[in-house]
Amino acid sequence: MPFASPLALLGLLFVPAVVAMYLLRLRRTETIVPSTLLWQRLAADVEANAPWQKLRRSLLFLLQLLLVAILAFLAARPFVERPAGLARDLVVIVDTSASMAATDVPPDRLGAAKQAAIDALKDLPSGGKVSVIEAGRTARIVTTGTSDLGRVRQAIESIRPTVSRGDLGDALALAQQLAIQSGDAEVLVATDAALAVPPTTKVDAPIRVLRVGDARGSRNQAIVALAVRTSPTLTRSVFVSVANLDLESATRRVEVWGDDRLLETRTITIDPQARADVIIDDVPADASILDVRLVAGDAADTTARPDLLAIDDRAWAVVPPVRDRNILLVGPGDPYLETALSYLPNSRLFGLTPAEYPAGAVRKDGTSWDLIIFEGTVPATLPSTPILAIAPPTSSGLGEVTGTLTNPGIATLGTDEPILRYVDLSTTHIAKAQKMTLPAWARTVIPGPKGAPLLYSGVRAGLPTAVLAFEPRQSDLPLEVAFPILLANLTGELLGGSAAPTTAVKPGDPVVLTVPAGAAGLHVVAPDGNAVDLLPGAAGGLTVTYTRTDQLGIYVATPIAAPAASGAAGASARSSAAPSPPAASGAASPAAGASGGLGQGVDASAPIRFAVDLFDVDESAIAPGPNRVLEDLGKARIAPGASGEPGASGGPAAAIDPAAGRPNARDELWIPIVLLVLVGLCVEWSLYHRDAVLRMWRRVTGRLRRTGGA
Amino acid sequence: MTMTDGREPDRAAAGARTATSGPPAPAAKGPDGKPAFLPSDVDPTVFDETFLRQLERLLLLMRAPVRGGLKGGRRSVKRGQSVEFADYREYALGDDLRQLDWNVLARLEKLFVKLFIEEEDVTITILLDGSKSMASGRPDKLQFAKRAAAALGYIGLASEDKVAVSVLGGRSARRRTALRGSGRVFRLLADLSAISAAEGPTDLVAAARHAAAQLTGRGVVILISDLLDPAADRIIRELASTRSELIVLHVLSPDELDPPLEGDLRLVDVETGESIDVTADLATIDAYRGRLAAWKESFAQLAARRQATYVDLSTDVPLNELIFAELRRRRVLG
Repeated sequence: MPFASPLALLGLLFVPAVVAMYLLRLRRTETIVPSTLLWQRLAADVEANAPWQKLRRSLLFLLQLLLVAILAFLAARPFVERPAGLARDLVVIVDTSASMAATDVPPDRLGAAKQAAIDALKDLPSGGKVSVIEAGRTARIVTTGTSDLGRVRQAIESIRPTVSRGDLGDALALAQQLAIQSGDAEVLVATDAALAVPPTTKVDAPIRVLRVGDARGSRNQAIVALAVRTSPTLTRSVFVSVANLDLESATRRVEVWGDDRLLETRTITIDPQARADVIIDDVPADASILDVRLVAGDAADTTARPDLLAIDDRAWAVVPPVRDRNILLVGPGDPYLETALSYLPNSRLFGLTPAEYPAGAVRKDGTSWDLIIFEGTVPATLPSTPILAIAPPTSSGLGEVTGTLTNPGIATLGTDEPILRYVDLSTTHIAKAQKMTLPAWARTVIPGPKGAPLLYSGVRAGLPTAVLAFEPRQSDLPLEVAFPILLANLTGELLGGSAAPTTAVKPGDPVVLTVPAGAAGLHVVAPDGNAVDLLPGAAGGLTVTYTRTDQLGIYVATPIAAPAASGAAGASARSSAAPSPPAASGAASPAAGASGGLGQGVDASAPIRFAVDLFDVDESAIAPGPNRVLEDLGKARIAPGASGEPGASGGPAAAIDPAAGRPNARDELWIPIVLLVLVGLCVEWSLYHRDAVLRMWRRVTGRLRRTGGA
Repeated sequence: MTMTDGREPDRAAAGARTATSGPPAPAAKGPDGKPAFLPSDVDPTVFDETFLRQLERLLLLMRAPVRGGLKGGRRSVKRGQSVEFADYREYALGDDLRQLDWNVLARLEKLFVKLFIEEEDVTITILLDGSKSMASGRPDKLQFAKRAAAALGYIGLASEDKVAVSVLGGRSARRRTALRGSGRVFRLLADLSAISAAEGPTDLVAAARHAAAQLTGRGVVILISDLLDPAADRIIRELASTRSELIVLHVLSPDELDPPLEGDLRLVDVETGESIDVTADLATIDAYRGRLAAWKESFAQLAARRQATYVDLSTDVPLNELIFAELRRRRVLG
């Protein structure tokens, strides 16, 4: 019998040591007795009259020798060989997509896939190397090229499910990279083959699919869309779309929860492979987080079966805050601008001519403006509110005007600029613009020629401020769809309302979050309570990118107050308010307006919430697919004994069978040996302690007898 | 009879009891904690307050049959040889016709014989094994033997028999002065208190032979010993061959009856210092028990053959049980 560690047989040298110890025997304990009269010849009598005694001692000795020999044998790792069923270099891909959480096989598909992958390792040839790739939204190498099967098992066991759409193509590409380095490679894919994105990557190695999941396991219904619509009359509606991906119709109940209160339930019956939409109106205005759950059938119907995938039975939505913002437009009047501004949600637009300002800007209700837009004019004294200045004619605190630009071109735009999100300026032409110098407090949003910004934004004296260097009517921008989006983004930042994503985020997608003015960064708390602090990469950066969106649910980002920065902001706010001259009539208090405007325009302490939802019909379709989809991507397997055959799709097969020089698989025999050792130990223990057990038994029975007699 | 005739001076000083009333109730205590009436030469650790209470109780319970005393002694007397009338008994075939009461025959026309109290002077000799092996065991065998001797001796004294204590140690027997009358109980206790285990080995056979030679006349010999001697059977033979009736109280401690030994041991003889290696597993202990049982059985059979009485005792038997149950059951006491 071959041994993996034959040197360990040196442990047999302990056998003479045991013999020596047995011969030397142990020192006897001296005990004083009244007389040795009755003990004389007793030992000899016992030996002579009870051969079992001799045998028992010999048996103990033999057992000890046997145990030493077996332990040495065990340490030498004996094994038996058999033909290997796998290639020498094995790449194990474990699908961790959301559909692998289906429970049609216990404990779930991922658990079964991991077990199948571990079981398959038994066929690995001796010295074979294994790489493990976790195939989630992206591929991740868990372990690479190791022959330590314990480590491989541990790596496979460590794989956790994800809630995102899986992409086996990425993992196959990695597997291809690993396979091309080896002459004898094979790819094992442990998956349910319910592929949301069918991979197309070819692999220059045979692919074997360890398919898990019940072939009839398609019983799944999923929430595939959730939207909250706020109407101008401040009523809200919830739109839920539920897809039945089963081959049978299903009755499910939709529960809408608002801030952990059950708001509405609807029971729906959905045809197979169809969708049902549910619209629930009159959602309470105070509900900030909506949690929609899909539960099994009607509450009274106890026979309804839950579906096999739970993670797509729940979705969340953040209800956008509803508050009317008051925007004052000061200028001669631009119909394009006014029209675009009038379509901003939850906002009320007021207009004044430059002559009417600032006297006419005093609000009767004591509140302040959330935003003042100066179009083609700049007041002598800047109000302490967020400001958007459009084509300022003269230099002011908003920026220095150094001239005019004619037909200025738009330079390369930044890709992560939140104001330019969804804004396409590639066809925009500008006839005339003010030539501005970028102030220290601002960043360039739309760069112009020679460093002259066409749009810049920033926090001036603690107040969000932006300057557009050209009048919209001096360009074709108002005629483009980008104009209202740009205005919405711009006013959103100035009003402090665009910090959070407005739509649900896909699991795994990065989220760009805007850091509110006066905050040093964001403290983001995931649904499971794990938190991370995000700080802008560059000094003065206004956005951070959060990438750990690997859980479904609501994420809450709280601004981190920077002690120095907030103090400075407060100080600057006060300093800017101080020189503002009070209104002559005293009816309006710019100082009060300043503080109110600051408070209402940007709430630096308000948390930013966003939801991560699956909303993936393809991933929710959990019916296992055919193996061929994946196996055809690999090289054809050569039948044993065949010299070669054309590959199915992976190109011509190698003329030489790589399995020919492949070592055998080894089955180590440690389990039966360990069992043997345990049995031996038990026998030795029982022999050694037989007297003690019997004594105890006699003592107990004697006591019971005496108690019974009494 | 003077005060020194059998009465202890301090017993007289205590003066609480008469000679026939036995030991006083052990209420008052001296400064050293022992009963005030207890003579100084009585070992209070052996004859402690509990023992004295038991002795007191023994006297009360034995008062009615006290005349019976040790039955062994009574069986050997010739009935009707004294002058003091005791009772009538119906005539049985073989009775001496000279003992017939002719007056009763004439009056009632029935045959009755007259019974008389015997007056033979019976000596009860207590042979106490004083070998070193007796000083071992839990409870201590020698202490148990002293208490048993005290109890039996007290019964003898209460029966107006002569009681003599002889200690077997070394190769000889040291016989103490014979005592008579229950008033000598403290002397008996003092004699027993003075007994200690012999240093060095004891030849029980030689000592018993020596004790047998000291016996005078008929009587009762009570041997209290652990009989841990290779020739212990010869002791019984020697003593049984005397004219006295032999009672053997074979005393062993629970440790010897059921040795709590375990493992690989070297057993050292407390008397001889010899050692023996034993692996005390259950089989060995079982074999020991078997050997012990056979050993005791051999003594019992030997005693039966020699018309002696053999009683095997464990030192954990309470004195009450020893006197009122064990010895009565074995027909040592009437």
